Amino acid sequence: MMKIKIPRGFGLYIGLAAVLVTGLVLLMVLGPRWLTTPPEQTAPGAVEAAEARKIRARLFYVNEQGTGLTGVEREVLYGEGTAEQARRIVEAQIAPAPETLVSAIPPDTKLRTVFFTKAGEIYVDLSADVQINHPGGTTNETLTVYSLVSALTSNLPAVTSVQILVEGKEVDTLAGHLDLRRPIEQDLKWVTN
Amino acid sequence: MIVVVVVFGPAKAGHHIWLLAQGGPFNVLSREGRRTLPTVDVQGHQMVGLDDLATLFQLQVREDAAARAITATYKTQTIVLTPEQSLVSSSGRLVSLPAPLTRRNNRWLVPVEFISRALAPIYDVPLDLRPASRLLVVGDLRVPRVTAQYDDTPASLRVTLDITPRATPTVTQEQGRLIVRFDADALDASLPQPPQQQFLTGLRVVDPTTIQMDLGQRFSTFRASPPTSSGAAAVITIELMGATDTTSAGAPNTPVAPIAPGAPGAPNPSAPVGALPVFGVGARPSIRTIVIDPGHGGDDNGVKGQGGALEKDVTLAVARRVKGAIEGRLGMRVLLTREEGNRVDGDSRAAIANNNKADLFISLHANGSPRATLRGALVYTLSLDRVGEDARRQSQADRAVLPLFGGGAREVSLIEWELAQAAHLDGSNAFAGIVDQRLRATAGLPSVELQRAPMRTLAGTNMPALLIEMGYLSNPDDEKLLTSSEFQNGIANALTEAIAAFRDHVEQGPQVPPAP
Repeated sequence: MMKIKIPRGFGLYIGLAAVLVTGLVLLMVLGPRWLTTPPEQTAPGAVEAAEARKIRARLFYVNEQGTGLTGVEREVLYGEGTAEQARRIVEAQIAPAPETLVSAIPPDTKLRTVFFTKAGEIYVDLSADVQINHPGGTTNETLTVYSLVSALTSNLPAVTSVQILVEGKEVDTLAGHLDLRRPIEQDLKWVTN
Repeated sequence: MIVVVVVFGPAKAGHHIWLLAQGGPFNVLSREGRRTLPTVDVQGHQMVGLDDLATLFQLQVREDAAARAITATYKTQTIVLTPEQSLVSSSGRLVSLPAPLTRRNNRWLVPVEFISRALAPIYDVPLDLRPASRLLVVGDLRVPRVTAQYDDTPASLRVTLDITPRATPTVTQEQGRLIVRFDADALDASLPQPPQQQFLTGLRVVDPTTIQMDLGQRFSTFRASPPTSSGAAAVITIELMGATDTTSAGAPNTPVAPIAPGAPGAPNPSAPVGALPVFGVGARPSIRTIVIDPGHGGDDNGVKGQGGALEKDVTLAVARRVKGAIEGRLGMRVLLTREEGNRVDGDSRAAIANNNKADLFISLHANGSPRATLRGALVYTLSLDRVGEDARRQSQADRAVLPLFGGGAREVSLIEWELAQAAHLDGSNAFAGIVDQRLRATAGLPSVELQRAPMRTLAGTNMPALLIEMGYLSNPDDEKLLTSSEFQNGIANALTEAIAAFRDHVEQGPQVPPAP
């Protein structure tokens, strides 16, 4: 029967190798978090962490009298860059309002896409629901338009004006009153706080 | 619409003949000559081929299969298009088109608006696309729009020609016809047939810069006003008269030529003999024609009240009462932008007022709010954004001085058609103040607020204009009021009084400088 001869000190080598391998694995998994690597290069776990990151943004809802908008600080998902952050803000603005607030955005309105130009104009492309479900009236329409305009211009300094599109196309108005053929600038008179 | 452009030469290829049948080509007018740009109808949109645009405008069109993009390059600037997308990048600026880039029969098609929105901003010379008259003017050619209106009386027929932008017409009489020649490169003319044939049997374009008036059996003589200014337009009125109508006509049959102030031979309006009457200009400014715009209509109901009242019905009912009150008490001409059933877009509402030379425009609406407790009326005038303010400042900087008949001059400002209201904001705000006061005093409205907003309907109106939200249909009490005869009559009376007060304000305002 063949006898295997174990050299002296072999157990010590095995122990050292195990420590070395464990150290390398830990370095590979945790190392990128210690470094300033761009998000698109991070491991999946890190991406999830970035997506869960939130910022405080001012969103706009109908005031008590119904004559204007009131700004409310709320948590909004973080977005990398102006266009992505704008998308997050619009998604939060058009989402159903918390119980204590009233939204001026027609129900079921969905965000199709957002474009940002170097001139500071942001294009917000909404689904047709914003027109189909709109209750009408100048006051309603003004509050709808300026809640979007205010949310974007208040939270994103690079945004100077907002062009609203519906189903990818320019529209004259949402409900027959406000001229949407050109980008709309912030107008603080509609914000009452 | 008659486009005074002679189109010559056959279509280049067979598919062009098919395209012509689908929608008719655009006539392209430039210093180099006249050409045609074929169009094709795709789901209701007028499209043109990128290949045709490349030939016309020296564009380098390339297809980048890897990037799924089409690029059209003019000199150093590039337009990037994406198949089935309506947004294009024109030299880095995003532009929205009414229809996406589409591929048909191995050709890339874009909506005609691509020319004005994406190509014009990067092109060396102005590109003026006129879809209504299917005309594309390349460069600084003078191609005024000429429209004709008739004012028929038993004794005469008055023909008013609006020329926008201004071009100087000259009227001469030849055998059996009057010839109106324009100081322009071509005309974009809309000439409806006369309402009766006694004085005028036809009005037509006979060469690129000339309109001919074929005279009827009752015609004996004519008198013509010198061209006068109305905003960016020039207006000439030609009155055709019978034999018994010339006793006070001064010097009929006198050809009209451009008159410089103080020029030798320039007629004096006070001269009893040899003077031509002046229509419109020089007279005391006043309020003669009102356009009332009942908001919404057709399949656009506007706001719906809890009790079932529709905004489109309320606005039409009030508009009819306002019309009756103004006509009966003030004797002014009142036009409505719509009757029952039809839907009218924003441009058409403004165009009705502009084309009828209205002195006031009032758009009537009923409001809606997310808070059902909200009540009251709002009176809106137009607010201007940076573009509008720039246009207004530019119009004031670009003031032109035009000669008046009999000497003297009148200063006019030039402004874009779609921002026409910018030149009338002072008048609009003055009228809004009067309306606010009368709605409280006469109609008894407890709450009226003056407000400014970028209102679509007001932007293109070329006269003092406002939009009134008479109350909230979203409030049950306001809904009952808005549908009651008493309230509607109160609104009609208040507006009639406001118009009378504004007329006094206008008539007491600065007068046209007297002739030296």
